[in-house]
Amino acid sequence: MYFLGIDIGSLSCDAVLIDESKNVVASSVVPTGVRNLEAIARVTKDVLEQSGISEQDIASTISTGYGRTRVANRDGAVTEITCHAKGIQEAVPGTRILIDIGGQDSKAIHIGENGNVMDFAMNDKCAAGTGRFLEAMARALEVDILDLGELDRGAQSDLVLSSMCTVFAESEVVSLIANGTEQREIARGMNRAIASRTFSLVKRVAREIDGLTISMSGGVALNSGVVRALRESLKTDTIHIPERPDTIGALGAALIARERNA
Amino acid sequence: MMYDYFSSIVSGITAKLEEDPHGIHARKRYALAVAALGQRLYSENARIAWCGVTAPFDLLNSMGVTSCFVEFVGAMLASTETAELFMQEAEDAGYAADSCAYHRAVTGAMLKSAMPVPDFIIGTSSPCTAGLAVMENMAKQYRKDLFVLNVPQSESPAAVRFLALQIEEMAGFVAGHTGQALSKNRLGEALELTNEATVLIKEIYGLAKQKPSPVDSRFLNNFGVVITLFMGTREGVDICRAFRDELSHRIATSAMDPSQERIRLMWVQNRIQFPFPMESMLGDSGAKIVVDELNDVTWEPMDPDNPFESIARRILSIPFSRNVDSRVAHLQELAREYQIDGAINPCHWGCRQGTGVRGIISNGLREIGVPVLNLEIDCVDSRNLAKGQIQTRFEAFTEMIQG
Repeated sequence: MYFLGIDIGSLSCDAVLIDESKNVVASSVVPTGVRNLEAIARVTKDVLEQSGISEQDIASTISTGYGRTRVANRDGAVTEITCHAKGIQEAVPGTRILIDIGGQDSKAIHIGENGNVMDFAMNDKCAAGTGRFLEAMARALEVDILDLGELDRGAQSDLVLSSMCTVFAESEVVSLIANGTEQREIARGMNRAIASRTFSLVKRVAREIDGLTISMSGGVALNSGVVRALRESLKTDTIHIPERPDTIGALGAALIARERNA
Repeated sequence: MMYDYFSSIVSGITAKLEEDPHGIHARKRYALAVAALGQRLYSENARIAWCGVTAPFDLLNSMGVTSCFVEFVGAMLASTETAELFMQEAEDAGYAADSCAYHRAVTGAMLKSAMPVPDFIIGTSSPCTAGLAVMENMAKQYRKDLFVLNVPQSESPAAVRFLALQIEEMAGFVAGHTGQALSKNRLGEALELTNEATVLIKEIYGLAKQKPSPVDSRFLNNFGVVITLFMGTREGVDICRAFRDELSHRIATSAMDPSQERIRLMWVQNRIQFPFPMESMLGDSGAKIVVDELNDVTWEPMDPDNPFESIARRILSIPFSRNVDSRVAHLQELAREYQIDGAINPCHWGCRQGTGVRGIISNGLREIGVPVLNLEIDCVDSRNLAKGQIQTRFEAFTEMIQG
């Protein structure tokens, strides 16, 4: 018996297939694009091909993410907050603070000792500090987004991008380049700006974080520069990054599918 | 044009009510009264006063003045999906798009000459200083006199005397503009009607507290604030009675479905005023709003023999007008009385009360074990609200409460 979780985000559509023992049997991540139904079909096909099972072998499917109601054959839809909290408990047991930065939103989730969500806070007014923001910054710096994470290596300045509006920040980056500011210093300033905003989200859900296990999920967790800036900001040596931070929401959805089918 | 618009609404609702003359139809009767107020505001013969939210409407009603708080216009324009036109007018005139949309809408309506021209204006320094600024602008625009009630933030004897004297002075100001002196008898009768309505309002809230509650998420939407406009009138008493009777009827006929209130919620401050499927969004998760912060009676009955002091005590008792500690204590009290599972604070954009004390309110409610969902939404400007984002937050909040 297998359980499928599908996370339809604004940038990527992810699927995780698990078995009865919670082992990840297959996973897939594809760009969501403008036709999310196609993305859903593609990740479903991917995990079926990888695992060699048929659709009838899937006992239950839970969808999550902003497009969660687009999955036609779902058995339930659960928000990404609950799914990420569930997924991270499996990937990094004992996590009490989860920072999830995805394509168009960022969130901080305070998880209780029993694994339940105690509180959460999300970016509300704009997509600053999210994957979309990083895409715009990579464009302004003329680097591949995959290279953005290491771009700030060796940077020392206290520069912080003053504006977190994606459009204004892009203009600011262009101005800094024009003024001769080194690319790595700009990258550090950008990462510090994201960290500062994320720090505020974390403090909204937990005033005291000392001693709590902090983890990060979402595609932006793969950006080492942002993670370094967050460690600095949160004054912590360790932010746990699961092996596949970008599929934690889908993993959580699959785990919920399994629980509901028990 | 606006007079005709309200007249058509009055005719439509009246016709609907006549189809079932013995039915209670509390919300319809309430809507009829609101439309009739709109009709009066736009009629040529009425004496009109634009006011602050905590102005003594029973006193003004007793003096024959059709009065209304300015935010009511913002809410009404939003509910009819016409606010955007007026907010744009205000923004084009230089008002910041980040300012409170209630006030942007009313300012735009004023600039586009869509507001009834008042005979005078009664501002209140509390709860909202932005509203007072709107009324200052209004006084300039219309070249009308403005009287400001400065509301202290305590209930001390000195504060009561200070405000009571101002209210008496205000009555003189109104008489000076209407040419009609205050009749102590009429004011006494009005306060008796206020007391009659208040007893009913307390009954309404008492019924709403029951578990399961006979209210649905929309039943008492805006009730506590809007009903103040009808205080001191027989119409106000009748509306309150209809609400009380409808809730009693729902209880007597066991019309409540416990599965629809697995989660009992409190709404902090104002509701979303434009058409928005909040009720169904919450209802899908078995959640419903059973209490609003602004639906409460915090004052003693009015003393017709001591009217100004009574009114002053009432204004000063409203927690929303006072310091944040009073407001938090009041929210905690409501949370306990209504046995709520969670609270939603919309944190209306540009609102000092909504956003300035967000953290303090959250901490105060969390202290007594009540989780809080803080949104950052605009309750009037639908352009600033993304339905999908709100849906996710509502769903996540109810999932969190249900564990």
